[in-house]
Amino acid sequence: MQLNFASREVTMKLVYYGPALSGKTTNLRALHDLTSEESRGRLMTLETKDDRTLFFDMLPLVFRAEPSADGKRHGMSLRVKVFTVPGQVLHASTRRVVLQGADGVAFIADSQNAETHANAASYVDLQGNLQELGVDIKNFPLVIQFNKRDLPDVRSDAEIESLAQRGREPVFKACAVSGSGVLESFFGLLQLTWAKLEAEHQLARSIGIDAAGFLPLVARKIGFTGDVWSLVDSRIGGHIDRVAGGRSA
Amino acid sequence: MSASARPPASSPGSQRSAFAADDYALDGTLRLDDLIDRDALLELCKSVYGLFGIPVRVYSSEGALLADVSALQEICAYVNTVARGRAACGSTVSAAKSADPGREGDVLHPCFTGAAYRILAIEYDKRPIGRIVLGPFLPVQTEAPPSLLTLDPGVEPERARALLSQMPQAAAETITRIAHHLKAALDLILFSSHKALVTSHMHVVSVKESYRQLEEKSRRLQEAYDKLKELDRLKSNFLATVSHELRTPLTSIIGYSEMLKVGIAGPLEGEQAEFVATIHEKGEQLLALIMSLLDLSKLESGTMTVRRKAVAIASVLGEVLSTLTPSAQKKCVALRVDVADGLPDLHGDPERLRQVFLNLAENAIKFTPKEGSVVVRARCVAGELPGGVGGPLALLSSVPPKLEVRVIDTGIGIAAGERQRVFDPFYQVDSSSTREYGGTGLGLSIAGRLVAAHGGTIRIEDNVPQGTQFVVTLPFPSRPPASPSDRSPGG
Repeated sequence: MQLNFASREVTMKLVYYGPALSGKTTNLRALHDLTSEESRGRLMTLETKDDRTLFFDMLPLVFRAEPSADGKRHGMSLRVKVFTVPGQVLHASTRRVVLQGADGVAFIADSQNAETHANAASYVDLQGNLQELGVDIKNFPLVIQFNKRDLPDVRSDAEIESLAQRGREPVFKACAVSGSGVLESFFGLLQLTWAKLEAEHQLARSIGIDAAGFLPLVARKIGFTGDVWSLVDSRIGGHIDRVAGGRSA
Repeated sequence: MSASARPPASSPGSQRSAFAADDYALDGTLRLDDLIDRDALLELCKSVYGLFGIPVRVYSSEGALLADVSALQEICAYVNTVARGRAACGSTVSAAKSADPGREGDVLHPCFTGAAYRILAIEYDKRPIGRIVLGPFLPVQTEAPPSLLTLDPGVEPERARALLSQMPQAAAETITRIAHHLKAALDLILFSSHKALVTSHMHVVSVKESYRQLEEKSRRLQEAYDKLKELDRLKSNFLATVSHELRTPLTSIIGYSEMLKVGIAGPLEGEQAEFVATIHEKGEQLLALIMSLLDLSKLESGTMTVRRKAVAIASVLGEVLSTLTPSAQKKCVALRVDVADGLPDLHGDPERLRQVFLNLAENAIKFTPKEGSVVVRARCVAGELPGGVGGPLALLSSVPPKLEVRVIDTGIGIAAGERQRVFDPFYQVDSSSTREYGGTGLGLSIAGRLVAAHGGTIRIEDNVPQGTQFVVTLPFPSRPPASPSDRSPGG
């Protein structure tokens, strides 16, 4: 996270991690399509000829909170930069470089049975890279998305459910190609990350916004009109704090 | 805050990889000058000017003029001929230059002549990074305003009206279209060059990161290697110490058993003599083994001193022949030494050289069956460059001749794959051969190291149709030893 008091800007970095071809870039494309034009920048993809991610994809989302009339709340802008890493094993050093300075990670797992091993290997890789960067994965905002739920021969709902109950991380089911589960995972990660930053740095006070109102504010800014908490609550397992003032989920 | 909010790096290694990968992706440090090529921007502005006749200027948010396509308007030249006109024009232009396009990023800045400037913000990544100034142009159906006509007594209204009408005219929506077109084109250019910038930056960063990882790995390998070398040194030291300590009591055992054997303590009878002889013989064997170990450890630790003096190979090999003839005859193996005439002297340690050929010949006899033969042949051969004779190198450096000694047997032979390993200490081609032929497995490795200590090489070749040739090459001294008195035939 970067906080620039002079320009009243907060920049958060979220990273979509996971094995090769699990749908990280697809998630980002769907997120791009699901957000309003005013709030999103261009999706930057750095890919090879065969559409595989070479370095990363990056989607900037920028929201401006207007100052309140009574002057209690200052205007500020929040910039969320969503990155993907290249999944292929050979890009190990690039993955670590992209992961540098991340505030939260969405781990995009491939639901197909055949990919179980690749998921596990990628998770170990994530853990190792975070460790190398001095980050303990246990205290790091992390959500897991089981993508490709629409394909045949995938791990069953019951299996994912039992996995989710065993772990601490919130788990979301998704089919990024059709866009389902994409916002759920994004909002879940954003809230988890916000809660961590808020707890560590009292961010809400220093930038003058309501801690519990952060996620609904962002949701509104990117053009989501429904109840954002119901999306966050669609997770299986895990715990996502609504921070002081809000209902605890 | 931004620094403290980052997790602390765990090691110096990860600290080094903390070069900001997101310099260009996360930071707000993007500048228009960095992203755009001035010449290309000028081309773009020229094309707009060519299409619509509206002057275009582009400024960075730091105020630098990056492109300027305009021609002096007649009316501007005219008002500048009068003093108040110059002043008014100057303040208008500087106000237009620094005008803030505001929240909307788009303002119209009027000129006292009735013309106008349109100022637009250039945004990238939702941040303003520069401005486009379009104009001056004349909004349609503009009458010359009083601010122009009554500016200065020197202004002739008719002339001013005529010149003003020559200024390019544009409707507000035309200017809006031009502005949006220009902004869209610029945005595309900015995005493409940002992408190129990020790509090249990531290339460098990834290569650096890979390099760091490789460096880290080779550092670890080097550490492990150093540790192994140190362990090896300790082992050699240990071996040397132990061998030395073993030798001392053994000397007493051998000495006293010899005294018993020769009857100093009274005559021995029958089995007594036989037993004492066995003790003495085994003691000698053990001593030989210990001496070999000591030699090997000295050679490995580099503490073996090789005395250097002139050595005639014929006398060295002659001694080997006389030493081994009895055991060869016992095995019914024909042993022959064949030394070419007129070989120059070597410069080396005669004792050690004798040990080399004694070991090789003894080994050859050991593995040669009954009725076989062992030949030790010495001659002078043309030198070879590393990697073989030939090529331009052979022309550039003179290659001195060398002494070659071949120990040729008709024994069981050594498979090609084993030939390098037989010089390893304690290595034996077939462990069962130890039982059949005896030996410690140290002879060849000692021979190999002694040859190396003399600057020579040793290799193994086939002896067709059966057997092995050990080929030792030793260099002749570059200058013949000066003093003949130093010669010691037979070492």
